[in-house]
Amino acid sequence: MAADNQKLQRHAGADRLFHWLMAATMLVLMATSLLPVLGLRFAWYGIHWVAGLVLTLLILLHIVRALFWQRPGTMLIRAADFSRRGAGKYTLAQKLMHLAWTVALLVAIVTGLLMLSKAGVPFLQRDPYVHSLSGWGLLTLLHDLAALLSVFLILVHVYFGILPEKRAYLRAMLTGWITRTELKPEHDLQRVERGD
Amino acid sequence: MNLLRYGHDAWGARVLNGVSWDLLPVAFWAGVAVIVIHLAYRALRRGSNRHED
Repeated sequence: MAADNQKLQRHAGADRLFHWLMAATMLVLMATSLLPVLGLRFAWYGIHWVAGLVLTLLILLHIVRALFWQRPGTMLIRAADFSRRGAGKYTLAQKLMHLAWTVALLVAIVTGLLMLSKAGVPFLQRDPYVHSLSGWGLLTLLHDLAALLSVFLILVHVYFGILPEKRAYLRAMLTGWITRTELKPEHDLQRVERGD
Repeated sequence: MNLLRYGHDAWGARVLNGVSWDLLPVAFWAGVAVIVIHLAYRALRRGSNRHED
């Protein structure tokens, strides 16, 4: 049996880099979309669509990596996740947070990409008539809802990330490692070792 | 408080423009509410654990 203080790799360098690049991109996207709403006037649009494309690329890389280099099943919600100390690699709360971010970001990316044809970007012929006015309104509505959900999720995600009892997860996202002792309160170590 | 933003087309008919920005503080305060509720739950749980000890 391995020692309790043995360091286990929780996140590979590529995944940590993805997480923090995505966080930085999200902050740029939120600032460039919501600061103008709050009354701060600046040329936000160019920065916003470039950051949106960066986020799209990051998410595509994440999906490819998750499907072919990682175990996507670790993010599926299973019955064992509801039992005390039954979590696999991720706890139920972490899986729900991932699911909520998946919904918010996929809606934001799909609607954002569709709206590029209205806005005029260097690589795309501008065509505001590709959708009706109500169609553009619906796309904007979904994009706005994704932004509002992101505001909520950023607050909750950062709060749980900095809680003292969850600090090991934050350290794992910075340095990559966690110990068995830190996993024991919420995780089934056999599931963790199986990569479940 | 409005839930949606509307504009008008060339004929003056009302068209949907997106979500009302009145909802931005709602999203923010909903996040703050989750944090406060969790902090209260955490404090209560710690208190009852100490009591059991």
